[in-house]
Amino acid sequence: MRVKRKRLFLRVWLVPGLLAVAAAVRPQPAERHPYYVGARVCGSCHDGEGMGHGYSLWLLSGHARAYAVLSRPEAREIARLSGITQEPQASPVCLGCHATAAEAEKWEKDPTFFTGDGVECEKCHGPGGEYKDAEVMKDRKAAMAAGLRMPTPRDCLQCHAVKGSHVAVHHRPQLDMAKAWEMIAHPLPDAPRFSSPAVNARESSPSRGPRYAGVESCAQCHDGPQKGFQFSRWRLTPHARAYAVLATPAAYDISRQNGSSLPPQEDPACLKCHTTAGGSKAEARLPSYGPAEGVGCEACHGAGSEYSPEAVMLDRPAAYAAGLQRNPKATCASCHEKAHGKPFDQESAWAKIEHPAGPVQAAAQAPYKNPLRMAFSPDGRKLYVTCEAAGSVVVVDAAARRKEAEIPVGGQPNDVAFSPGGDRAFVTNRLDDTVTVIDVRAGRAVATIPVGDEPHGIRTDAAGTHLYVLNTLEDSVSVIDTATGAETKRLSASRGPWAAALSPDGRRLLVTNCLSRFVEFRAPSLSEITVLDPQRGVVTDRWLVPGANYLQGIAWHPSGEFAFFTLLRTKNVVPMTRVVQGWTITNGLGIAWKDGRVNQVLLDEPNLYFPDPTDVAFTPDGTRALVTSSGSDRVAVIDVPKLLSMLRSAAPEDLESVFPNHLGKAPEFVIRHIPTGNNPRGVVVAPDGKVAFTANCLDDSLTVIDLDRLEAAGRIDLGGPKEISKVRLGERLFHSARITFQRQFSCHSCHPDGHINGLAFDIEPDGIGVSPVDNRTLRGILDTAPFKWEGTNPSLAHECGPRLAVFFTRIQPFTPDQLSALVEYISSIPRPPNRYRPVGADLTEAQRRGREIFYRTMTNTGEVIPEGNRCYICHSGPMYTDRRTHNVGTQMQYDRTGEFETPHLNNIYDSAPYLHNGIARTLEEIWTRFNPHDRHGVTNDMTKDQLNDLIEFLKTL
Amino acid sequence: MTNPVAPAKHRHKASNRLLRSALGGACLLACLAPSAWLPPAGRAQGNTGTARLPYVYTRWKQFTVKDGLPNDHIFAVKADGPRVWVGTEDGLACIDKATGEIRKWQEKDGLPWRAVTGIDVNPKTGDVWLALFGGGLARFSGGRFDHWHQLNSGLVNDVVYAVAIENDNVWAATTAGASRFNTITGEWTIFTEKNAPMEEIWNYGVTYNDGKVYLAIWGSGVLEFDVATQKWKEYIDPDGEMEIDLYRDDGIVHVITTGVSYIEKVLWVSTYFGTCRYDGRHWRGFYNKEGGPPSDFTNNLKARSANEAWFCTDKGLGVLADFPSDTWIQYTAGPRPPAGKAVVKRGLEVLETVELEVGPPHSFIICADLDGNDAWIGTSKGLGWAIGEGYYPGLRERAPHRTAAARR
Repeated sequence: MRVKRKRLFLRVWLVPGLLAVAAAVRPQPAERHPYYVGARVCGSCHDGEGMGHGYSLWLLSGHARAYAVLSRPEAREIARLSGITQEPQASPVCLGCHATAAEAEKWEKDPTFFTGDGVECEKCHGPGGEYKDAEVMKDRKAAMAAGLRMPTPRDCLQCHAVKGSHVAVHHRPQLDMAKAWEMIAHPLPDAPRFSSPAVNARESSPSRGPRYAGVESCAQCHDGPQKGFQFSRWRLTPHARAYAVLATPAAYDISRQNGSSLPPQEDPACLKCHTTAGGSKAEARLPSYGPAEGVGCEACHGAGSEYSPEAVMLDRPAAYAAGLQRNPKATCASCHEKAHGKPFDQESAWAKIEHPAGPVQAAAQAPYKNPLRMAFSPDGRKLYVTCEAAGSVVVVDAAARRKEAEIPVGGQPNDVAFSPGGDRAFVTNRLDDTVTVIDVRAGRAVATIPVGDEPHGIRTDAAGTHLYVLNTLEDSVSVIDTATGAETKRLSASRGPWAAALSPDGRRLLVTNCLSRFVEFRAPSLSEITVLDPQRGVVTDRWLVPGANYLQGIAWHPSGEFAFFTLLRTKNVVPMTRVVQGWTITNGLGIAWKDGRVNQVLLDEPNLYFPDPTDVAFTPDGTRALVTSSGSDRVAVIDVPKLLSMLRSAAPEDLESVFPNHLGKAPEFVIRHIPTGNNPRGVVVAPDGKVAFTANCLDDSLTVIDLDRLEAAGRIDLGGPKEISKVRLGERLFHSARITFQRQFSCHSCHPDGHINGLAFDIEPDGIGVSPVDNRTLRGILDTAPFKWEGTNPSLAHECGPRLAVFFTRIQPFTPDQLSALVEYISSIPRPPNRYRPVGADLTEAQRRGREIFYRTMTNTGEVIPEGNRCYICHSGPMYTDRRTHNVGTQMQYDRTGEFETPHLNNIYDSAPYLHNGIARTLEEIWTRFNPHDRHGVTNDMTKDQLNDLIEFLKTL
Repeated sequence: MTNPVAPAKHRHKASNRLLRSALGGACLLACLAPSAWLPPAGRAQGNTGTARLPYVYTRWKQFTVKDGLPNDHIFAVKADGPRVWVGTEDGLACIDKATGEIRKWQEKDGLPWRAVTGIDVNPKTGDVWLALFGGGLARFSGGRFDHWHQLNSGLVNDVVYAVAIENDNVWAATTAGASRFNTITGEWTIFTEKNAPMEEIWNYGVTYNDGKVYLAIWGSGVLEFDVATQKWKEYIDPDGEMEIDLYRDDGIVHVITTGVSYIEKVLWVSTYFGTCRYDGRHWRGFYNKEGGPPSDFTNNLKARSANEAWFCTDKGLGVLADFPSDTWIQYTAGPRPPAGKAVVKRGLEVLETVELEVGPPHSFIICADLDGNDAWIGTSKGLGWAIGEGYYPGLRERAPHRTAAARR
């Protein structure tokens, strides 16, 4: 009995015990980090007759040229229509579809990986570092566990969905996915075998003299705009496919006709002309060379191992001595003369493959100027004008009233301020996040200071020791020591600091903020004037401006008793059907008293609105103020004493509730409207008080205003093209209020700088009080159709056409030509670079962890996340949107539907608030408050640090 | 017949034995009584004569709800130039030192959360950062409160005990780890046992000075974060025993730490079981039983220098006025408010007793801040302002303060 029990014990416990021990001592699989190996590695096996010529088929496809096509002028035009300011071959958005591993970090790419291969195997099949080994590859299950993906046509739509920018240039019909799928098919034979010694050959043996290095070696230098895109041009020629064509049936026919029984890709007679080093010995080839490159650079220019170093290359005689061919033209005939019975016109063929090394010429048309703001030099003689589109500052001789110079600065210069001594001028560049320092005497930029996100306004303190730079998209103010150029601190403003004004006594700097503070959902706006003490460099107060937004231009009265600032009163909490008391947006002026009181009055009158008040300036005696209306091309002249008298005699209730909404008050203090040029933005008054100038953004001019006669007295041409292009026309329409009922507002009124105003609106096609929707950015949106949060508008033309007229502007819609111009302008609104991940930069640790979360397929507890609930499924492609509608559980009370279009995520960090109705103030809240049932991705299992990491990654998109 | 007088030889031997015994005893005493081998600092000669004595704060003012504070439970105090910020159980206050005027903010005034447990002021921007007990973090700037909490930000937990400014970063000590907020990039970083040597994650205190951030953690001692190298270092009680300090001065006295203060390269630590000091090489523990602080249960501390620190205990304020001589002053309230008492001690020896007409508002001391020569003391029944007119560091030859009885 005892023996039996013992045996039973052994059977029951011993085996599992041994297994447990075995498991414990079994080496654990190493942590896997998929990495990209490049198409040549795939091709080392997946080519040749025995493997179905997979690699060659890819080389023959458009995918292999996807990167190279970005060198064409059409690509630049497409980039322009996507608001992309970078060279297409350097833009993450373009590369996201036109290359493989665009978003990967450097360490994730093996030295064998080559971006110039465009859309190669791993773009669809996943990074191959873990599954490339033959042993793994042969086991499909193991390969997929190691990262191999088998895509479906749906995956192709991440890149191949119709894009407005591409259609506008290529005019191609929508891709037939079924046909395209067939075209790129590259199946393995039923009994695959490695059979491509030409591709597989990698002999490397010591050899003296020039050896073939391979076209990728040449491409390290010989590509890009400065080098005439030489590699890309070659890649687009048949030479690049010369080896691959040997896999085609036609090649087999020719080979048979020539009496060869070898596959063409193995036949030396074919390889002699169809590859670079076909006629050479194996030891004459470096490992970096591969015959699959076809007829590469060295086929004509000679084996490059000895002349490829830059020092040799730059010395032409030395390069020749090292093997560079003096007359590459002479090499053509040996292969092309009477090749396969085809005629050969050397001259015309040569013209087709020309690839000069000079820089690519920029677009023929010079840019417009787009003057925005101005500043008088302290001596009153010069007027500096920032020109946003030209990236320059125009210097105007104020007395002579003519342009005298133009100084290049950074991208999209916005505001300018002089040092008190006048020796320096400081210019904010909102595209570059910098300040340019100009040496006034020398008339040139001498330094660049990095600041925060999209700087707008800039001012110095009274002593000139510090600069105050308003970082508009970061809600902060950088304080710069002018002696060192170093930022000493960053102060907290409100949302969208826009312009600043220093009090006459130098003790206060008032900062306007364009966006309202965050308020409770569907509550009226509440904006802020931030009050700084420039002597101490601290925020001392914040004055509230209830019911207003778009606080922009600001100026102190010479007395120092008060300041004027421009404002809008956007009535976003009531439906856009309510016309009483000013309909959707009224336009006004704020009076900020030095004791912190703020009054508001309207500049609108019934049937004569004052759309987009932008800037304000006082005459030196303080009796007049000028306010520009950029939406109606005029300046209002205000009788300051009359306005003050009106305010001082009003009851407190009137000041608080009546005047801010009263359309009948403006005639009491507005004494004249003076027409200006197109879209007047900045306004300044000359120190002698005799004239004022407005910067007319959209006709590249300044209007001179005679302040005695109160009329326009002249125009100063700043240069710029005289022809009005289609985009220019669209830009003018965008900024004009002519299209709206009562000429009340323009597109710009809700989309400053083509971006957001941070408000949610009740637009009534879905019912009054139903489905309030958040205002969205216009930057880079052309390729993100459909539009509208519910995804019901298929194109921008539809979005801005009749629908706009019916629900927004309420009068006749744009004409077809106007609509086309408007769409083209909106499409070309530049999108700023991502501030959290500069192009080519690696991710930080937190961003890297966040990327893992974004792409995760399992929860923390090991459960599989359904595919439809994974982040990267809906937020796919370089713009991180699949352009479909989904229900992510965010439908709330008063929403008529829960299906919303997937917003793109590019630069998502600067477009708060979030979700369709703007209820989430931060990215965190999208999941902490508004994803209780894990329908917007599975997030409730995440730890807080995981969510933080995810946020850090999202900021890099 | 016995001889009452021993013969000279024996007398000599006997007197030698006696002398040796006396000498031995003296040596023993010298070893056991540290104060005996420290530089002579003088002793109070009753109430006459002079001695080397520390400065005693005899002028106090008290602030309670009657003076305008929102609440008498003072959780945090921070001196900020001409003003003092006060965090209470139900609101924030700001005292104008020149005028005595008090402004206060409660939830109805926009304060995001009633209980303010920590305050720090950004020296560059002047922004006031508040640790909110159950409410996260707030910034008070130009009269506006901005609020960060678990749901709208990367803050790890809303139960925030303390806050500290480190360059452009804001550190929050929370009950679930430490959070660091980069005010320029907006990035939040969480430190817990996953990425720091944090055995427990209940962070009680945080402070920054001279390139180092220190966390005081319940159950995990003190963690030091070197800003330059981004490396952590931990200070754990080597004894490993929770209830006793087995070997004195071998490390931090206890791992249940409540506060930490770093100045002049010296680290001061408060725990619920005593306090200690570390100069980078030597640890020194301080206990009530040795006459130092009024109690070992220390809620917080603030150090003025490498030689002076203020400890907030449940039974009074313990000020180590002079580390080299181990001279302490215990400030307590009562017996009849607003009066108080200051007792100067060295070891168990009382050097001086000073009756204070006005002293600390209560003996349950919660927090302290040093403001030049002055000190601000938060208690469970109001705020005390110790005015340091004529303050001097260390010891100075002076006459003891006359007691009230002596004055009468």
